[in-house]
Amino acid sequence: MKRIPSSSPFVFLVVAALALSGCASAGKNRYTEPAPVGGGKSDGKSVKLLDDLDEYDTAAIFDPLEPLNRATFWLNDQIYTFVFRPVSKGYETIVPKVVRSGVHNAFENVKYPVRLVNNALQGNFKRAGQETGRFLVNSTVGIGGLGRPADHIPALADVPTADTAQTFSKWGIGHGAYLVLPVLGPSSLRDTVGLAGDYALNPVNWVSILYGGYTWTIAIPSTNSVRSLPVQLGAYDAAIKNSLDRYLAARSSYVQYRAEAAAK
Amino acid sequence: MNLRHLFPLAAALWICGTALASTVEAEKRLQVAVDEVLGAADKAPNAAALMASLRPILQKHISFSAMTRRAVGPGWRQFTEDQARKATDLFTTLIIRTYSSKFTPGQRPVVNIKPATSPAPGRVEVPTTLVYEGSRYDVVYRLEEAESWRITDVVIEGVSLIANYRTQFDSQFKKGGANAVIGALSQSVANP
Repeated sequence: MKRIPSSSPFVFLVVAALALSGCASAGKNRYTEPAPVGGGKSDGKSVKLLDDLDEYDTAAIFDPLEPLNRATFWLNDQIYTFVFRPVSKGYETIVPKVVRSGVHNAFENVKYPVRLVNNALQGNFKRAGQETGRFLVNSTVGIGGLGRPADHIPALADVPTADTAQTFSKWGIGHGAYLVLPVLGPSSLRDTVGLAGDYALNPVNWVSILYGGYTWTIAIPSTNSVRSLPVQLGAYDAAIKNSLDRYLAARSSYVQYRAEAAAK
Repeated sequence: MNLRHLFPLAAALWICGTALASTVEAEKRLQVAVDEVLGAADKAPNAAALMASLRPILQKHISFSAMTRRAVGPGWRQFTEDQARKATDLFTTLIIRTYSSKFTPGQRPVVNIKPATSPAPGRVEVPTTLVYEGSRYDVVYRLEEAESWRITDVVIEGVSLIANYRTQFDSQFKKGGANAVIGALSQSVANP
């Protein structure tokens, strides 16, 4: 990735163009005007900052099941600590990083139908096309998706991901209520239905959906779960570390993260 | 063309011009902060040393008092001066610890600063991409002009640091006011 020095005339022009376009749309920024504070002082700068106290969007979500959710959250935390963390550590110790990253890439590559179908359902045919291009390039040049050569093709790089819950969100369906799923963690009524969609669209699960009931059918989905553990646990830790209330920290992070993913 | 028609255009350009100056200044400021932080991260032999060397750098570039006020929200008006100072000190330590813990020795993040936007006068958002340990993250820095440009929020993959703490502080404040917030903060600082 090349960095252009910020003093170059090119960057200056880009900045100028963006600032001007930003200027044109200044009315629809996400800040709301701060409510005036009682007493009506508006002279100093410190007062100006104090005036803004109400402005932050705290990513609120309807959580009528909070007591149950908190219990599930606690249970999950125990499962992560005593089962998932050791498994994840073991996987990271036994399997070399190159192999882990190849396995990770391959499973993400296979998930292509999830992204294709949902981009199409969202009416984003450009991204659906890009995903198809990525899948073809990574599956062939990248040897079954072990590598990600598509990242080096500008037209195919940095395609925002798509999933079923995100499609619901784009269709205007709200979360409904916050829901902590056993083992899987933070979700909502809407996103749980979305997860079921993702599950059905992921080829990794097709064998066990079609021929379920045999031990061998869960081998591939299990590998898929193990390979995603380090990433998932990393995200969980980032959300709860140094928090005052782990449950609220995870809930807020989840809601904000999902909102951003849908906005991209 | 009649000169009268040029006036609105000139006025618009002038307003945008000042916004432009502030976005450029904020970008520069962020670049300085990033360079200083990465420089310190390169030199620090371990996590504890990194935290110690990052503190003065972060205090220079981040407005911890604004962050604390925002994270607490409207309840802040009920904090006494002493409580406000205590809460700010504790929150500062917590943020510096959170930030320092994200560095793995020997891994150098690549930060790519993109053109900033100004959502409101005196405010700038600088989008950046961060490539670290093989993953790419979108990180937006929110800066505000008080005495100079200071960082007041960091938004990682859409998750705002301040909004996240605000949810937690709100619930503490509802339970027991300023003292509950300070109590929860000291507990969190004491248990890494």
